[in-house]
This record gives sequence, C-alpha cells and structure tokens, in this order.
Amino acid sequence: MNKQQDVESNKFSLLVIVLDTNPSQRIVRQNAQLLTQCVDAIIAFGNAHLMQCSQNKLAVLSCHHHATDFLYPLPGKQLDVRQIDGQYEVFSLVEKTVKQRLSHIITNSPKLNTPCESILAGSMAMALCYISRIQRNAAAGVKMHSRILVVTGSNECASQYMTYMNVFFTAQKLGITIDVCAMDKTMSLLQQGCDITGGQYLRLTQLDGLLQYLLWVFLPDPQMRQKLVLPPATKVDYRAACFCHRELIDIGYVCSVCLSIFCKFSPICTTCHTVFKIPGPMPIKPKKKKKV
Amino acid sequence: MSDAKAGRSGPTTSTYALIPKPANLQCMDLQEYLRTRTAETLEKLYNYPTICLAVYRELPEIARQFVIRILFVEQPVPQAVVASWGSQHYAKEQAASTACLTELNVWRVTAIPGGLSAWELCPTFKKNLKIALLGGGKPWSMSHTLEKDSKPRDIAFLDTYAMARWRCVLHYMVGTGSSNKAQDSEGISPDAVRILLHANLMKRDERDGITITRQGFQFLLLDTQSQVWHFMLQYLDTCEERGLSLPDCLSMLFQLSFSTLGRDYSSEGMSPKMLTFLQHLREFGLVFQRKRKEGRFYPTRLALNVTNKHAAVPAVIAEDDKAQESGYIVVETNYRVYAYTDSPLQVAVLGLFTELLYRFPNLVVGVLTRDSVRQALRGGITADQIVSYLEQYSHPNMKLTESAIKSKSPLPPTVVDQIKLWELERNRFTYTEGVVYNQFLSQADFVTLRDYAQSINVLVHMNERTRTMVVTKNGHDDVKRFWKRYSKSGG
Repeated sequence: MNKQQDVESNKFSLLVIVLDTNPSQRIVRQNAQLLTQCVDAIIAFGNAHLMQCSQNKLAVLSCHHHATDFLYPLPGKQLDVRQIDGQYEVFSLVEKTVKQRLSHIITNSPKLNTPCESILAGSMAMALCYISRIQRNAAAGVKMHSRILVVTGSNECASQYMTYMNVFFTAQKLGITIDVCAMDKTMSLLQQGCDITGGQYLRLTQLDGLLQYLLWVFLPDPQMRQKLVLPPATKVDYRAACFCHRELIDIGYVCSVCLSIFCKFSPICTTCHTVFKIPGPMPIKPKKKKKV
Repeated sequence: MSDAKAGRSGPTTSTYALIPKPANLQCMDLQEYLRTRTAETLEKLYNYPTICLAVYRELPEIARQFVIRILFVEQPVPQAVVASWGSQHYAKEQAASTACLTELNVWRVTAIPGGLSAWELCPTFKKNLKIALLGGGKPWSMSHTLEKDSKPRDIAFLDTYAMARWRCVLHYMVGTGSSNKAQDSEGISPDAVRILLHANLMKRDERDGITITRQGFQFLLLDTQSQVWHFMLQYLDTCEERGLSLPDCLSMLFQLSFSTLGRDYSSEGMSPKMLTFLQHLREFGLVFQRKRKEGRFYPTRLALNVTNKHAAVPAVIAEDDKAQESGYIVVETNYRVYAYTDSPLQVAVLGLFTELLYRFPNLVVGVLTRDSVRQALRGGITADQIVSYLEQYSHPNMKLTESAIKSKSPLPPTVVDQIKLWELERNRFTYTEGVVYNQFLSQADFVTLRDYAQSINVLVHMNERTRTMVVTKNGHDDVKRFWKRYSKSGG
C-alpha cells in the first residue's frame, strides 16, 4: 500500500526478442543442436521476464534470411493451451507458440544454396513498429518501458548500415533500449546501437550457460541496471560503412550536402547527385600544415 | 517517580501515557502477511508452485534478480559473491532485499568449505519455482481433461456476475441488502457474516444487531481489488477453524489468480474441503459456477491478480475488451459532487465525506466542505482514501478533460489539494512518549542533566525558566543512571 509500490506497479515493461534463426549462421551449420539449445534458453529467459511482474509483456521475432516472423504472440487468436504439467499456463503458451511457429518457419523457408546474411536491421525495425503500436494502445497514466534484445550468431552485415543507423536513432528518440547478445563474431555495428541507446552489448565466446548470461546481463530493466554490477562497456568501434561498397572504413570522403560516406572519391554523389567542383588534387595537405 | 528520593532531593519524574490512536484498517500485502507466518508454515506453503510464483513477484526488484541468478546454480553461493552483484550506491536497498529474502525463508545461510558463509535457496522453493517457470511436476488442476463447454461464458458476463456478487457483500455491510432484495436476489451466508465480524468490519450490537464499524467504512472506500484481498486474508485467518488447510486454500487462491479470464477450469480431483472453499469463493463472486455440482468453474476478474491491484482492473492494454463503465461521479472545481446513482451503498459511502444537498431518482448532489471532510477524517478515513475513491469512480467524461489528461488524475487539482490540506491541518501534533523531569533544586543540576540528555540525543523538550525537561522513554534509564552517579558524587 505504500507510495513506492504504487509508483512501481503503474508501469510495465515490454521486451521484444529478435532471434536470428538464419540457417547460414556458422554455429548452426556446425551443430544444428545448438539452435534448439538457444531456443530453449530464449524461451526460459522470456518467461523469466514475464515472471518479474504480471503486467510485463513479451514478443519474440524470428529473423530469417528471407523474412521476419512473429514467434510470439500470434497475430489474432492465441493457441488454446491447457496446462499439462506444473508450469504456469502463460509460460506454457509462450513455449508452445514459439516452438510451433519456429518449426513452421524452418520447414517452409526456401532452400538455401549459398550462405546468406540475416536481415537483422529489418527485424529490428519491425520490433520498433510493434513497440510503438503497443505504446499507442497502453492505457493513460501507465508508464511503459520497452527494449529490444537481439540474439544473433551472424556475421557483421555492413550492407544494412543505413537501415541500422535509422533503427538506432529512432530507438534512441523513442527511448527504447537495444541490447545485443552476439554468439559468434563481434558485431561492431550493433555495438554502436547499444552504445547509442544505452543498452548492453555482450559477446559470448562459448554457448554453454547461455541462459545464465542472459539472466544476468539482460533480464534487469535498464532502469534497474544501475543498481547492479554488469559487465563494463568496452570501447566501441565507431567506424562507418561506406555507401559505395558497404565496407567499414576509418577514413573516407563525406559529401558536404547529404553527409554520405565514400571510400573512394567520386565526382558525383550517388545519394543526392551533387556535382563536386574539384576534380584535381585534394587541397588537404597545405591546410593541415597551416593548422599545425 | 522513584529516583532522586534518596539522599539529597532532586528532580521528580513522571510519565505520560500516549493518547491511543483510533484503530484503523490495517491492509497487509502478501509480503507482510507471509512475514507473520512461522518458518514451518512457509516451508509448507512453498510446496506449491503457484505460491512460489506469487511470492517471487512480490519480492523487491533486487531480490528478484538475486533469486533468478542463483536459481540455476547447484551449489550455495558465497555471501560475498552475492553482495558483489549489487552496486555500492544502492547498498541500503540491497540490504533490505537480502533481509526480506531471509525473513520470507526464501534463502538461508549455510557454511561452505573454507569457512565462508553462503546463501542457498530453500530447496522446496527452488524446486517449485523451477516447476512454475520451466514445467514438470503435477498440473495445478485437471483442466486439460476438460471437455469444451457447450455454453461458454464470455468476459462481460463474468464481470457483471462478479460485481453483482461482490456488491451483495458490500450492500449487506451498509445494511441495504434487505431493501434491494429484488435486485440482488439473495443475501449473504452466515459464513460470510462471520468473516466480516472476525475482520472487525462489522460488530454485533445488542440494540440493533450487526452494524458496520469504522474499519468497515474504511473498507468500503478501498478499491475492489484491495477489498477482495483484505477480505480473503481475513478468510484465511479463520480457515483453520473450518478444518481447511491454509496452504491448500492459499495455493487455490493463487491458482485462480494466475488463471486466464474467460476460461473454464475443472474442479475434478479436488478434496471435499477444497470444494467447500470453492463454494465460498463462488459466493463472493471470485469464481462462477453454473451449478454447485458442476465440475467446471470460471475464475472472474476479482480472483485475477489478487495481490496486485494495478494488474487486473481496466486491463493494462485494452486491445479489444472495453474497460468497465463504472464511473458515476463528477467533481467540479466548486467542490460540488454529482453522483449518477440510485444505489444506497454508493450514496452511503458518499455521505461519509460530503454534505448531501439534493437527491433525485438517478442523481445525488453533494458538496465537499471543510466540515464534512473533517468529519470523515475524524472517523479515521484518510484524505488519500477519499481522493482515490473519487478517482476510482469518476465519470468517464471527467477523464477526458484537458487537465485530466495532463495530470493523470481526473479530479480538479484544487479539490485534491484542498482535501489534503484539510487533512494536514489536523496533523499538527507529533506524539513522542517521554518522561518529565522537574523540581530541580539548582540551576546547575538542571543544566548538567540537560546537557547530558542533549549529548546522548534523548532530549525532547526543556524549559529553563521552570527547570523542566522531557526525555524520551528509551533515554530515561540512561539519564536516571547519570543522575544517580552525579548526585552521589556530590556534583
């Protein structure tokens, strides 16, 4: 009945998990069992989030190489799940729905001949849309905290640089935290996103104990995290990807009109079609000398 | 009064008894309730996954994180390690969480090799929380064998049913049950009356039978969810007398609380005692059952999230189900209160803190005055209760005004502030129990004793001219001892 509790209970948090289910991930190709393990951990983690508070909401998205689908909740009517063991009905529903949808997606996805990258940025954009829809429907006076957790074993995909940046800055503007759990390679672009939105970035070197890592680092709400000791932030690699070859570069050319980045000089900007006047040698050197 | 009589005369002391405060309604939440139970009872309660889940949700947030982190760890975790999980800046909060976990018997201290003390989750709690989270064990009820109901009940029906049943209890309390027989069809059972009497919400009076008490009126001002919870706690208090086991009842209550609205559940496999409990719940409107013998029941909104008042009422995300149209009160900035109601219960409650001006067939007009509000405050009702009652039942149109959208409260801010100010003007006194020292023989004695009392922070009041001082009750022994020593040494 005390005040603090009143304040506490008038909010809820929405967690959207984006799970990379692309079969061309290295860890999945080497050992298909790992995906099952991962999914189990994710389900337990999602349920742990729901367990925190009865108002908490959960959504799980699968990110495939060709499409993004909701694993939970289902659009429209939910599955009719009855309790079969001691598990809480709501948790059983999550588990059943996710597993059923995932097997449906995997069996129905087009065959892959060559490895293909996951459309993570698109999935995150979809997560943002979902969050803003729930936000719109929330009752007045109820505070909603939302965050996105990306769990992926894919490689860095610089080709989606633009979409990523749009997603990150939108999330920042909406006050949505982006957390990333990288299971294989370092994802420097996603790490930038975590840094921008104040989320946690964690790269796992081994998959044993995935659930324990998730529960430790990603279960606490962002508001709660300052009260706990979490892994310190590492230095973020803020390199940008050039617009011409989609590669991460340290030094490049920036269009003075639209701020597009290029690794090689081109007389016409491909984004805004500005024509640059100086085709000759760059007047950089004398300028530098003047400054020094 | 005894000291300082021997030898040279000194100050005399006298104690004042505190003026007893009027007994107010004590509302416990689940955590406070469990703290009053013994460790053995708690251990028994943790045999039920439902109770473990409910307890977990009621824990402070840091405690929740600690529990989940050691849930999957097989060995005990050294205390130092657990302490290092929390940030130093929030040490106080962390200590409170740790204490809470210990008090509720969720974890306990064990020794590990190396002479360190470690935390270990109570095995029963650990096992059953895991079951609730991950599955395994026995189902809570036999509902998966249930056939589809040929005439399923929808949520709107359940809501009206539950509210009608619950209002029956409330109507009985204000003594309007009899006049409204036609509307509510039946009164309440002797069992329910016994609970009301036990809870001190009503009392037996030789002259006019059973009447409502001051606590009863405060009870009426609570929101429905808190009412149900308070009522159920009182019920659980008396359940042992009826031969029902507390763990069984509590787990049943939480099982209902974690069920899905609009779904039917099976009562198959329940013991006869639990079936009696179910019948009681049916009477209060927590479950709906078509016939007494029917093997299925529907939990209603009253039973859902019974410990958490924010969760159940007007669903957090109203995607398709519309919030109940329960509001009927309009409050204007000129302190006028218009209530679109003909229910004697609602009029009686409004009459507690407003001065009623007019009554029409479907409308009551009253005005909030200083006198009427002070009358209510004297009756032990708090300003917060009045405000929350008015907010809870405010008319839907009130919620659409510009100020309501901005400030979250549908009431005019001036009225809310004024009610709170009226309460504050009554709270000009703070009571401290103390002991008076007076009739000092010399100024030096007085000054010495006063300075001593001040130095150990027990001085409440002193007057140098009349040589009077008051120390707190706890400090009295110290000061007395000091005085004896001082007077012996002939200071």
